[in-house]
Parts: sequence; C-alpha cells; structure tokens
Amino acid sequence: MHILLRLLKKSFGERSVLDIDSGEIKHGSRTAVIGPNGAGKSTLLNIMAGILKPTCGNIYYDGSKEFPGTNISLVFQEPYLISSTVEKNIAYPLKIRGFSKEDILTRTNLLMEELNLHKIKKQRPWNLSGGEKQKVALARALSFKPGLLLLDEPTANIDPHTTAEIEKMLIEIGEKEDITVVTVTHNLAQARRMCDQVIMMHAGKIIETGDCENILKKPCNEITRKFIEGELLI
Amino acid sequence: MDTIGHGITEAIKLIFTADKEIFQIVGLSLYISFSSVVISSVIGIPAGILIGTYDFKGKGIIVRLIYTFMSLPPVIAGLTVFLIFMRRGPLGSLQLNYTVPAMVIAQVCLVTPIIIGLTYNIVKEKARAVNALGITLGAGRIRRGRLLIYEMRVGVTTAVVTGFGRAVSEVGAVMIVGGNIKGKTRVMTTYISELKGMGNYDRAIAVGIILLLISFMVNAVLYHFQERESR
Repeated sequence: MHILLRLLKKSFGERSVLDIDSGEIKHGSRTAVIGPNGAGKSTLLNIMAGILKPTCGNIYYDGSKEFPGTNISLVFQEPYLISSTVEKNIAYPLKIRGFSKEDILTRTNLLMEELNLHKIKKQRPWNLSGGEKQKVALARALSFKPGLLLLDEPTANIDPHTTAEIEKMLIEIGEKEDITVVTVTHNLAQARRMCDQVIMMHAGKIIETGDCENILKKPCNEITRKFIEGELLI
Repeated sequence: MDTIGHGITEAIKLIFTADKEIFQIVGLSLYISFSSVVISSVIGIPAGILIGTYDFKGKGIIVRLIYTFMSLPPVIAGLTVFLIFMRRGPLGSLQLNYTVPAMVIAQVCLVTPIIIGLTYNIVKEKARAVNALGITLGAGRIRRGRLLIYEMRVGVTTAVVTGFGRAVSEVGAVMIVGGNIKGKTRVMTTYISELKGMGNYDRAIAVGIILLLISFMVNAVLYHFQERESR
C-alpha cells in the first residue's frame, strides 16, 4: 500500500503533537519511524490506523482519502489479546471477514508454524510470556494479509532471540505477501536490520526521510545526526 | 449452642420433609430475586456499557449518582416505592403495594445501580483497548460491541451475581412494600425477621441456612465459570 501524508496535524487541546507538511511511504517498503520520545511517532501510527482522527490534513491510501479499515493492521508494544486461545486470537480477523473454516485453519496453521506457536495454540493470554504474546499479536495482524502493517515498538520488551525471530518473519512475510510495513522503533540497529526506508521525526514534524542505510550512516539533518549519535537534543 | 444445634437439625428436617410453607417461601424469594435481577440486567448492562464507552456532558455527575445508589439503603428504596404506590401516591391507582410486583420493583431499584456501576467499571477498564484492537483488525462498530461484551463476560457475570446476592438477602425494602403477608408476599428474609420476633429461633436458623445454601450454590456456579474462563 502506498501512503501519502498531506498537511497532517493533530492537537490535544492547545498542545500540538503532530504537524506534518508532507510524507510518503512507498508501496512494499519497510519503513522505520525513528525519533526521540514525544516526537509524534505513535500519534502518526494511530492516525494511520484509524484509531485517532487528525485535527486536519489527509492521508491518501493508494491515492484515496477513504480509510481502508479492513486492509490495515496495527500491533502495539503491549498488545491486547482476546481472552481466548492463541489459535482463536489468530483466527479472529479471518472469522470477521467471513473466511471459510478450511481457509481459517490453513492460514492460522501456517502462521503458527512460521512463528513457532503450535505448542501453545490452546493457551490463553494470561499463560503466555511477553514474547509469546507479541508473536500471537503479530500472527493475528498478518492473518488477513493486510496491505499495510503498522508496528509500534513491537520488540521493545522482548529478548534478543525472540526479537530476531520476529524480525526474520516480518521480512520474509512482508516480502512474500507484498505488505508495506511501518515500524516505530527506538532501536536503530533493528531499523538497519529490518527496514529499507527511514522517517526521522522531531517535535511532531518529519525532519528527514529516505534510504535507511544512507540516513543512519550520513544524516543530512543536524538533529538526526545528534539523535543517531545519542547526543542530547535540546 | 443448643439453639444453634436445634436450628441446624430443624433445617435438615425442613429440607428433607419438604415443608410446604418453606418451599413456597423459598420459591417466592427466588422468583422475586431472579425477576428483579433479569430486569436490572436488561437495564443495567447496556447502561453501564454506554456510560463506560462514551464521553458526554454530565457523565461525572451520573457516575457519582450511580455510585451513591449502589449503596442505597433498602428501607429508603422500599419507602420510596411504597409512597409512589400508596393509595394517595402518584401511581396509587395501580394498587401494587403489598403485592409481588411492588417487591420486584423495589429490588430493581436496589440492584440496577449495582449492575450499572460494576459494568461501567469493567467497560472503563477495557473499552479503549478492545475498541482500538477492533479497529486495527477491521471490525465494524457492531463487531466491536460484541467483542467488548465477550471480553467482559466474566466481569458482567460477577456484576449480575452480586446483584442477585443483594436481592436475595434484602429485607428492608421487601418488608415495607410487601408486608410479609403469609402465602402472598412472605419471603425468606422477612420470614426470618418474623420468626426471630416470635422467639422461634430453630425455624429462623433453619430458613437462614437454606438462604445461605442458595447463596452458596449461586456463587459456586459463578466460581466454576470464572475458573473455567481463566484456565
């Protein structure tokens, strides 16, 4: 899915948290949205997912202003799982889209295989570790092959092994199923491993955007350079 | 100790000899409690969901009022219903005082705020997360509502059972509007109160034990449901 952001603003009362003149996310890309806390990254993601409404401005999804609700998925840092089994969580989006029982079974089995969830398929959320919960949320988000997958710090609280597993799966499935992936992350190494594009945000604005490797190696913007090098942003 | 011992023996006797009067009283108690809980649930669950889900002007005051009415003294509820239905009251023409419907109405007044308040608290906790999840998975408004009800099922069941507990154990309101008329409006709690007044402690303890057994059974079903859902 190709995304265009135009004059997108969001305020909470008097406080402006997002003020983007323009931005673009290319079809099939894996884009990392980076920036310090309070830069507006999660707000942008929530607006793109339809959870928040912008104060003004537009997002064009494949050239259309219409929100394609059934073709977008978002995974939070701390995902909410339905209080049912792992396999029913993964099957839920397919069920509400009216997929047949066989199709649901085939797809959930495939995803559980990819993410090594078979052994816990009958478990309920409160019996799962943080990493397992995140994998279930990812499998559920990918179940209906969304055109756009949004991830809000998906591996922030997860061990390196599970993080590597998730990153590998996201790259493979993203490429195989032509899914545009947008990831908010503070982990620059992860951005480098997973993504081909970067959007750098600061104070609600996009201040730099482009090829991931180039920006992380040779940022043009002074704030981006300071952020990457871990200097204080004042 | 002797009195209590006798009471327990009497209770066993009453249960196993199928005492007609006791069975009639227990039946009426359950009928009134279940009826009022069903009516209160039909009003209270949707109201709790609406108040918990949407922000509107005056919400704060409404929630405070609900919390206040959750601890409404039964005698006040009973007195209010009695005054409304008394001959010179606004609905006196209905002649409902000292009838079962008046007792159900009084209990609905007591139970509904409890179900609204407890449902509201569960919804407030979960609505935002469930709603966001529904949106991100492409669920429409109705699907999201159904998902929210599914996610609240244990909490709402607890609210309903709490309401039932209030209804079945209540004495003040049903005494005022029902009058404890033998064979007509006598329920377990008002009967216990009367037996105590007459010094018939054995029978009072016996009815008390039956009341406790009913509460135990209802809560055992709830516990089983909660355990099953949390496995």
